[in-house]
Amino acid sequence: MHSITHVVSTGLVLFSLFVIGYYAVVNSGYLVLHVLALLELRDDVRESRWDPPFRKFASPFYPGIGIVVPAYNEETTIVESVQSMLSLNYPEVEVIVVNDGSTDATLARLRESFDLEAVDADIPFDVPTEEIHDVYRSTTYEELLVVDKENGGKSDALNAGIWLTEMRLFCAVDSDTVIDRDALLSLVRPFLEAPTTAVASGGVIRVANACTIEDGVVKEVTLPKTGLPGLQVMEYLRAFYSGRLGLNRINGLILISGAFGLFQTDAVREIGGYRHDTITEDFDIVMRLHRHLKETDREYTVDFVPEPVAWTEVPSTRRVLGRQRRRWYRGMVENIVTHRRMLFNRRYGRVGTFVMPFFVAAETIGPLIEGLGYVLLPLAWYFGLLEIEFFVVFFLLTTGFGVFLSWFGVFSEVWSFNRYDSPWQVLRLLWYGVLENFGYRQWKTLVAWHGLFEYLKGVDTWGVMERTGFSTGDD
Amino acid sequence: MADVVVFGYIIPVVVILAVVALLVGLSLAVSLYLTISLSVYRSVKQTRRDRVRPDLRNGLFDRLFAEDPDWEGWVEDMSSVEREVAESLLDEYLRELDGKEAVQLRGLGEALGIPERAGNRLSHRDVYTRLDALTWLTLLEHPDPVLDSSFEPSTPRERASTVTLLDSSDRLPDTATGVSMLLEGTDEQFTVFGQDTLYRVARTDPEPLLETASNEYDTWPEPLLAQVLSVCAHLETSVRGGELNWLTAALETQNEAIRAAAADALGSFGWRASLRDQVFLERATDDPSPLVRAAVYQMLAAWGDQEALSILLFALVEEQHPRALTLGTTALVGRRDRIDTDAGAVLGDAWAWSDEHAAYDRRARKSGSEPVGG
Repeated sequence: MHSITHVVSTGLVLFSLFVIGYYAVVNSGYLVLHVLALLELRDDVRESRWDPPFRKFASPFYPGIGIVVPAYNEETTIVESVQSMLSLNYPEVEVIVVNDGSTDATLARLRESFDLEAVDADIPFDVPTEEIHDVYRSTTYEELLVVDKENGGKSDALNAGIWLTEMRLFCAVDSDTVIDRDALLSLVRPFLEAPTTAVASGGVIRVANACTIEDGVVKEVTLPKTGLPGLQVMEYLRAFYSGRLGLNRINGLILISGAFGLFQTDAVREIGGYRHDTITEDFDIVMRLHRHLKETDREYTVDFVPEPVAWTEVPSTRRVLGRQRRRWYRGMVENIVTHRRMLFNRRYGRVGTFVMPFFVAAETIGPLIEGLGYVLLPLAWYFGLLEIEFFVVFFLLTTGFGVFLSWFGVFSEVWSFNRYDSPWQVLRLLWYGVLENFGYRQWKTLVAWHGLFEYLKGVDTWGVMERTGFSTGDD
Repeated sequence: MADVVVFGYIIPVVVILAVVALLVGLSLAVSLYLTISLSVYRSVKQTRRDRVRPDLRNGLFDRLFAEDPDWEGWVEDMSSVEREVAESLLDEYLRELDGKEAVQLRGLGEALGIPERAGNRLSHRDVYTRLDALTWLTLLEHPDPVLDSSFEPSTPRERASTVTLLDSSDRLPDTATGVSMLLEGTDEQFTVFGQDTLYRVARTDPEPLLETASNEYDTWPEPLLAQVLSVCAHLETSVRGGELNWLTAALETQNEAIRAAAADALGSFGWRASLRDQVFLERATDDPSPLVRAAVYQMLAAWGDQEALSILLFALVEEQHPRALTLGTTALVGRRDRIDTDAGAVLGDAWAWSDEHAAYDRRARKSGSEPVGG
């Protein structure tokens, strides 16, 4: 009995030391990322506030963009979404709506609203997707193309659009995403400034719950009043204003949100398009681009631009959010496993030597360690190994640092684009930064463990996102 | 709690934790204070601006169409917030209006003292302050502060802004000066504004650009070369002189994006006998990259004469890459009225597909994009 107690005690002490060291390393990494993000944001803000004296629409130098919109059973929103995409401010846009075997009236609504006619000619090249039934052209909108195909999932639908567009760049968007009118003009900037090397750029995703949206445009930005979407606003701010901006500073961006990203069409075709057998296709595509371009010794950039914004509705119930986060976690683990060769591999530059290892340590293993800690704490207390004072100080320190990083994100928002322009909303955001550490953060560690078990069990379902719809001026 | 030995000193862990806690607490307090203060400051400022904006906009429009706007009298009574808002309205409308209204509106800029302030800011150490100054001078078509000072643009953005200012106010001596200001000694690529400026300066007289590019293209970084090639692709095709060997040389570089851009650029110069060399065209249509071959097909279609179109048709018959074939066929369909051969019979599906899409494009353009019923 004595030796068992000794083994458990030693194990707990070693685990505690590991956790302390781990927190020190990961939080130092986060701090560095946040500082890098602030420097990057400073440059971006200065750049975006200078509006050079020329008429962008009269310039012939903006490359054509194909906006690929996968649609599955979107009959209630599809017409409004397409109209919103068609009215984006950009000189040359083609909207490719891919009806991915919808069982509702999505296609009928499109045909009726946009005067679609089926193209008689066969597609003269192979499209690596499920069977395409018909390609439709609008007789009123030159820039609209609709593809009707057998259901094959989001990746398959995206691939159909990518193969059928003739535009040099394509923008992958979700059909329920609302894109700011001028967003493409900013998102395309890396491709204009590095025409031979830019392969992808991503913008910011913001939470649309509680915002007022009219005619596909966000008219009024409001912070959600309920806790769960509000906490996600905080998370999104931190992820985009700190994580991605910081990684962008060192050309180490490994994730561009599937709801709003711009890619060089040929580069994505070259790697075979989006993979069907992954549940986080947006993460996978960027990793594969990095991998392919490094392996073929090509000079390239993957950029993040903080000004262009797309708005999306986030889950407002714990059940749906849990399902979404478990899927994200499974997808993250799956991608790390798939691309494990890149880890600590100098061949993949900073992505392999710093970004991926840090990402794995902080985002993949981090929640698991934290969750384990919550289980081991009572055990340590039981064995008399827990120094309550030390634990309280350690908890307050890590929580305090977590709050500081969240507040850093809020400060970046206020200092830069300031979309939440009321100080009361900002105060509420700061409060969410505190609140998320008590309950929400612990719940997310549970979700991470659940996600890991699902991954190990081979669960590969997407789950359904239940939406309540955006507020309109009439509400 | 245990002690820790640091550089030979024994420090209790509690002291270390207390120091870290102090640092974290201080950081939290500072970030809270900064965030809230900044938010309140911006909110108050915005509210004040929003309050005066509608009246100022109405006042501005009243004076814009008046015979004597009396901008000075109007500005004299303005508070500092109103002046700020008036400046932002001026900035907004000067970018939208042309002709008589724009000329009238520029008087407001003078009344607000913008040219003088902008002139003083040309020597500011911050590049964006200098760029803002140049932008104002361009919007007001007021180049004197630049011409009368020793201001020398030092970054590609400043060069582009200065050339735009001089060009828009008809004070650019000639195209060669503009091209030289934009490209001489540069080793950085342009922003789209810079690229657009180069295009606007060179489009009426492309020769100085072609000459500069001919002399310097091999010293430029690839992104800059790609941008200049893209400018050349949009130039007037009536250029008589100008060295083109650099363009054909660019078509044989390692980088396929450069080769494709060179082919696009060469689309503007098809009448040149030097480009009709059979060996050159064979090499171009046999390029290993389908991306480049597609650009070469578009180049041949842009040339549009019988000889070019027949080379294009033969190349397409041999083309194995489906996407290059489709893009080339789409280009050929655009010239269908100039070809005698039944291209549909030899190009099959690619022709039918491209031809039908071209027909839909024409139909949609004809009907115009009217709002649809939802």
